[in-house]
Amino acid sequence: MSDRIAMLTKSFAPSCLIALLLVGGFWVGPYPQYVIAFTMTSIVAGAGLAMLVGYARCITLASGAMLAIGAYSSALLALNGVPFLWALLAAVAFGLVAGLLLGVPSVRFRSHNLAMVTLVFQAVVILLIREFKTLTGGAEGLRTLNPNVFGISISSDVQYLVLIALAAIAVLPLISGLLLGAFGKNLRALASNEVGSRAFGISVEKHLIVAFVISSGALAFAGALNAPRQRIIDPDSFGIILSIFSLAGPIVGGLGSLWGGIVGAATMRLLPEFLRPVADYTELVLSSMVVLTIIFMPKGIVGTALSLVFGRKAVARTALTIRSTSAATPAIRPSQSETALVVENLSVSYGAVKAVDDVSIAIPAGSIFGLMGPNGAGKTTLLNAVSGFVTPRQGGASLFGKPLLKMPIHHRIGNGVSRTFQQVAIFPTLSCRDNVIIGLGHNSIPAVLARSVADVLSTRRSQEEARQANEALESVGLREFADLPAKLLSLGNQRRLEIARAIVSRPKLILLDEPVSGVSDEEIETIAKLLRRLNRELGVTMMIVEHNISFLLSLSDYVTVLGQGRVLAQGTPDVVVRSQEVRHAYFGEERSA
Amino acid sequence: MSEFIMLLLGGLKFGAIYSLAAVGLIALHKATKVVNFAHGGLVMLGAFGAYLWIVELGYPYWLAYLIVPLIIGVFAATLEFTLLRPLRRADLFATITATIFLGIVLSEAYRMAYNVEILAVPVFWKGSPFFLGDVIVTRDQFWVSAGALIAGGISIAFFRYAPAGRSMRAMASNVRGAQLCGYSMDQMTGLAWFFAGVLAGLAGVFAAPSKGVSPELAVSIISAAFVAAVVGGFDSLLGAILGGLILGITETFAAAYVSSSAKGAVSFLLLFVVLLWRPEGLFPERAGRNV
Repeated sequence: MSDRIAMLTKSFAPSCLIALLLVGGFWVGPYPQYVIAFTMTSIVAGAGLAMLVGYARCITLASGAMLAIGAYSSALLALNGVPFLWALLAAVAFGLVAGLLLGVPSVRFRSHNLAMVTLVFQAVVILLIREFKTLTGGAEGLRTLNPNVFGISISSDVQYLVLIALAAIAVLPLISGLLLGAFGKNLRALASNEVGSRAFGISVEKHLIVAFVISSGALAFAGALNAPRQRIIDPDSFGIILSIFSLAGPIVGGLGSLWGGIVGAATMRLLPEFLRPVADYTELVLSSMVVLTIIFMPKGIVGTALSLVFGRKAVARTALTIRSTSAATPAIRPSQSETALVVENLSVSYGAVKAVDDVSIAIPAGSIFGLMGPNGAGKTTLLNAVSGFVTPRQGGASLFGKPLLKMPIHHRIGNGVSRTFQQVAIFPTLSCRDNVIIGLGHNSIPAVLARSVADVLSTRRSQEEARQANEALESVGLREFADLPAKLLSLGNQRRLEIARAIVSRPKLILLDEPVSGVSDEEIETIAKLLRRLNRELGVTMMIVEHNISFLLSLSDYVTVLGQGRVLAQGTPDVVVRSQEVRHAYFGEERSA
Repeated sequence: MSEFIMLLLGGLKFGAIYSLAAVGLIALHKATKVVNFAHGGLVMLGAFGAYLWIVELGYPYWLAYLIVPLIIGVFAATLEFTLLRPLRRADLFATITATIFLGIVLSEAYRMAYNVEILAVPVFWKGSPFFLGDVIVTRDQFWVSAGALIAGGISIAFFRYAPAGRSMRAMASNVRGAQLCGYSMDQMTGLAWFFAGVLAGLAGVFAAPSKGVSPELAVSIISAAFVAAVVGGFDSLLGAILGGLILGITETFAAAYVSSSAKGAVSFLLLFVVLLWRPEGLFPERAGRNV
């Protein structure tokens, strides 16, 4: 219950800030009211940009165009007799569509190319507004009307302040709910580790498109709300400079946080008012401030303030300690009569190199299956083919009779395939629990949006997800770190976290890519115990790639040795180590004739 | 026909300026992985330096081609050493946003210091134009096109064959490895910024007579250099030169045959088409690197 209150408080906190500003606005004169009203719309725009820039780390230079689309569409509709509130809704719709048009071609680009594609959009929109003179008034601009809401003509600053405050209060919880819930967590996950996100069914492109759509809707909403008070809107005021300074908001406020976007946008809106005595220098001061923030205060205002108040978390120290694991409970091993994974004549080529060459293996259900071989033997490639990261040239793979290869990555997790990575692919900024929740795999866009709502309302479903995640953390010995950001864990514990994320969905097959690489000797022992116990308790089949041969041989029921993409030997560990093929591949011993 | 050729040569002149700016952008990117959106600001400072040297101080024009680039190069290296140093370990998001705003700082600082209309700089090679049949080529066109392209060619050769160029490439492909081989990170980063600054300054001196000096020059040059770089494949110096020429020529033809507002749109169209259709650029450095 207290969780629910906490989540609801967080989601409605931005609206409460607007309400406070509104109350404060009644005590001041018309000009401050005018400024406060614009600050409120900036806060809405800032929340939208927090999603796209702060969470998803997309560099967008099209914010000015989106504000213009909102302003012009609502102003033109109002001039043609459409009531203000309908025009406002239509402007949001135009913004959402514009976000889709921009997002679909843009999301395959990152960093500087993304910046340039959004800049193209920005330039084209402004060019169109300038050229379609008959509709938009061209460069001279367009006169806007006072809004008329339910028969009241909004003309004074205080009326306008109330109108904007109510609109902002209504819209902000939608954005903050999405950001605080599953959608925001997935955005932070994909911004920090795309490969890890894909493995658990997060479609990076679709998430980014939704981020573009929603943030563009928020910007258009802000543009439409501003338009009447600007009296005249013209293309130049929505130019590239506006886009660049909108981008500054989430950076100055603090990336990866909703309040960063809000505080940053408000700061960028209010500072010029204080700089009025030296108005010529406004842009110079603001841009210098942004540069200095990026370089010397990368957490932004909100992040820096938080770490000043709370300091370094004392618990960080304990996150480095090695967790002991209890030995396997003497549970019944699942019968190994059934076959879990069947790989038939699988070949994968990179150009002319055959990384995996006609490999066939069969893994009995419930067993631990080791895959060894020298560097370049094709072990990871085989793992990637089974988990869907590479497409084989020929051959087949099936899990309990269900063919895997035609399945997209995000379906494989639903069908019981899960994995860890050679280089840990955790989501450093998310808490351990949120890392594991992503492993549950309900990450298609409709599911994520629904889960965001569920998270905000703390429904039974969202509590159930948290419970499952806690259980998985418990079973790898990380329960007490559930609320810590994953980046604070030691490498060994990060590998445990990956294991927890891999088992939480109750998979039938876990692919472990070098689970003890880079881990201390002491900890190797405990991870071996852990894997054996999980195998027994969950009855899950494991396929392990590892260079640490003693670890692998002691753990595995069956071992396959690959060399140059082909199977050199298969069998139980003691059979395989005696194989002459293997001794030749590893030690260069001559094969006896 | 002669009109066509004259347009082509006119476009070649602007293209050569874009090429030189793009080569600086790409050289820095190749050496340090930084995409420097403030490069346009450095070009603008180079053009301003040319104005100061030639018009205000009245010193010999040809010396501007040597002195101004050196000053801009030192300025760029100093900027990195004093201000941008913490960004060496930052992610792409931080470096890109930082240089975007640094570019604004440069042009706004210039606007504050020199808040006048566009400053004019005379052309280097005055005199009557050359007549080749019906085709008229001004001496300025000839000098800017040839000079900027030769400078671009020399810098490619420097980057590829000179020991300093090799060390920059070593650092680009593996920072740790280069450090272990005895290259100093400070020296190499400083050298890369100096080199990029010299190219920006030179592009500024070449651009000053035809484009004039104004804060807007920074924005127009960086977007042109960026389009040229993307067209050329972003990691190829030769590609950057070809991309610059393609952009200059298309812009000139669009302005002549469509309309002057089409001139701005065509560069964005070119960028958009190349990114969507061939994101690796028209002249990528390495083809089929997976083999």
